[in-house]
Amino acid sequence: MKVQVNNLRKEFGRTVAVNDISFAFDSGHIFGFVGPNGAGKTTTMRIISTIEEPTAGDVLLNGISVCEEPELARRAVGYVPDTLPAHGDITVHEYLDFFARAYGLKGKKRTQAVEAIEEFTNVTGIREKHLKALSKGMKQRVSLGRALVYDPDVLVLDEPAAGLDPRARVELRELLLVLAERRKAILISSHILTELTEICNGVVIIERGRILETGTIEEVLKKSAPRRTVAIRLLESNSHQNAQLLKELLQTPFVENAREVTKEVHFELTGDEAAACAILGGLIAKKYQIIEFRQTKANLEDIFMNVTKGGVQ
Amino acid sequence: MTAAFTKLKTHFANWREWEFNPIVIKELRQGVRSWTVTGMLLLFLVVLLLTSLALLIAESFDAGNLEMGGKMFSAFVVILAGASAFFIPLYTGVRVAAERVENNHDLLYVSTLSPARIIWGKFLCSAYIVLLFFSACMPFMAFTNLLRGVDLPTVFFILAFLFLVVCAINMVAIFLACLPLSRPFKFLFVIYGIFQSFGVIGSLVAACFEFMQTGVGAKLSEGNFWIGVLTALLLGLAVTGLFFVLAVALITPPSANRAWPVRIYLTGFWLLGGGAALFWGVQTGEADRLLAWAYPTLVIMLLALLVTISNSDALSLRVRRTIPASAVKRFFAFFFFNGAAGGLAWVAAILAVTYGTASAIISALPTKGIGSASPSVGITSLTIAAYAFDYTLTGLFIQRKFLPRRPPKLAGLLAILLAGGWAIAPVIILFFVNQLSWRSVEGLQLGNVFNVFSARDDHQLMAHLFFACGWLGLAVALNGKWFVQQVRNFRPPQPAAQAVPPPLPTQEISR
Repeated sequence: MKVQVNNLRKEFGRTVAVNDISFAFDSGHIFGFVGPNGAGKTTTMRIISTIEEPTAGDVLLNGISVCEEPELARRAVGYVPDTLPAHGDITVHEYLDFFARAYGLKGKKRTQAVEAIEEFTNVTGIREKHLKALSKGMKQRVSLGRALVYDPDVLVLDEPAAGLDPRARVELRELLLVLAERRKAILISSHILTELTEICNGVVIIERGRILETGTIEEVLKKSAPRRTVAIRLLESNSHQNAQLLKELLQTPFVENAREVTKEVHFELTGDEAAACAILGGLIAKKYQIIEFRQTKANLEDIFMNVTKGGVQ
Repeated sequence: MTAAFTKLKTHFANWREWEFNPIVIKELRQGVRSWTVTGMLLLFLVVLLLTSLALLIAESFDAGNLEMGGKMFSAFVVILAGASAFFIPLYTGVRVAAERVENNHDLLYVSTLSPARIIWGKFLCSAYIVLLFFSACMPFMAFTNLLRGVDLPTVFFILAFLFLVVCAINMVAIFLACLPLSRPFKFLFVIYGIFQSFGVIGSLVAACFEFMQTGVGAKLSEGNFWIGVLTALLLGLAVTGLFFVLAVALITPPSANRAWPVRIYLTGFWLLGGGAALFWGVQTGEADRLLAWAYPTLVIMLLALLVTISNSDALSLRVRRTIPASAVKRFFAFFFFNGAAGGLAWVAAILAVTYGTASAIISALPTKGIGSASPSVGITSLTIAAYAFDYTLTGLFIQRKFLPRRPPKLAGLLAILLAGGWAIAPVIILFFVNQLSWRSVEGLQLGNVFNVFSARDDHQLMAHLFFACGWLGLAVALNGKWFVQQVRNFRPPQPAAQAVPPPLPTQEISR
């Protein structure tokens, strides 16, 4: 399943929520959708899920247009909204069963599908519980189960990790990885960027309805953070020693912006790996007792902070 | 034709796989679990039991009482009508309204269930609850037959009548619950609905008592009785169907052509009604039977006028893609697609054809009821229609020209304010200049549509007509450019150049 977002634009009155964005992702991929609040993430996801109609542009799900054939496209997309189910008078099983019926699953096929999803999302033990009695993590599982019950090829998840405790977050991450292995194309928005770095293989950074960066995680990291930060820790780390080291580094080529950061010395390496090797060799030769010399990798969070300005519309 | 036949064949071939509407299953599950339905049913049964016991004890002292069954049945009718026409529509409406929160993508609106299936499911579920209450009451009612005073056909006829009316009220409740109003407005609607339901219950009980008094059993062999029943049934079905179509349109996504089913339904209803009225007129030889078709058409179209001018001009991409490319098809499609201009054209066309047909037939056939008054009736209708167009077109012009950034529903509001303001302003002025009297209110007030109803003579009526037509001419001229633009815009979109998204990431997921 190939999902192509083509020149998507959505206006709400005078507000341009989504401004001519294009990106694509495929089966087996988890694509992160990152942006500050009000950037247009939810609107884009709602358009992909056929809930909203774009003002211009289109989304193609294996060639099926969400504008021209929304009913057909809807069968291919499972949408997990940022709101959780909170009905007081319906159980988990009935909730999933209703959606299986609503998507046209009948008889044994439906029973099997619902049971399989309950097992997959690990809600079998609470299937007779009322939705309102569930914890946030469990509700999120039920919501994911609802989106999966008719086995869609594309999964669109809007802030699925919001408000979850660390354990629930890890479990959700595991589920998503399993789903990606099952060849689902997954688009996920989240504010917990470190998590996205771990599970996503592609990312779109969006602000004020416009795409700022897109590509694989590596591409984006390389593009947005060409300089690497190197951290050095000395055996007997004190301010005098660190000051000496700083003085030394300032005279070393390929080093910029050297500074002391909590008993460590950090600097920006403008050269390549060989340059890093030469710097380390030089410092050892000058009898600096180095116990740690590491490159601190820029993560999605750093890039997000670099490329976005926090603007909302 | 072949496609429709194949679809029908597949439908029947798969009958073994037929299942209930998912909405019905969900709603009934929730209904069974809810204390509201169970509690109300238990209370209903207790009240029925206590009433039967009280009446049996009180009336049993009179040995020669041959009306005991009738009295008891009357009491049951009041209880049943009260419970079913008040509680069930309220329960249904509140449930739909609670789910019908704008942008609530939680339950119903992110599935492949069509809006029509959703509303049908809600309606069916409410009908099942009505059935539940009726089946609880039926043994008590049938028992009254043994006590004399009411015959079994009357019992079942009244039950069927009540059942259908309550189902129709449920449909109205579903429609009201689907209206895109804020919570406070919905709450006000509920209060209003509660007060209205007392009137409805009163009328229902009165109608049932009338059936009891006249007795249905004796009339079963009369042809006229069945004609009356059938006519009432068809009209009831048509009105319920209208509310169904309206409710479906309300929950259909704004990007769809919401106007299509409503206008098709109303046009079909109007054509059928016209045919029936014409047949009736020819059969009885009285042309004024056509007024039974023309007046409701006028009322419905004036309401439709208010709704259509509140529509947006911009058609969604999805709707524009369904506009026919052929000029002839596009001409007809224009009347049935979203958009204020198409809606105005549709209302104008229906009213013009209705007025033209009714006038032609009334002048061709002999008249009885309206007799010599027919010309003034025609002029009054024409004046009212012209005024309605004046207010709406003026409201439309003000909104489109001066307040284009405000939502289009403002045009409808402006039209109402214009009509209301024009009616109230003279009264206020007369009050402050100390000239307010019934006579002065009845005096000629050009531009005030309500003044048409109190016109003293044909001269006043003609003055109103000329004024309204003059205003209409001006309003049409003011909106002409806008209308022409809308007609020009009504065409399928040009195919856009295919955009090329960035290449897909090639890295696979690794755990």
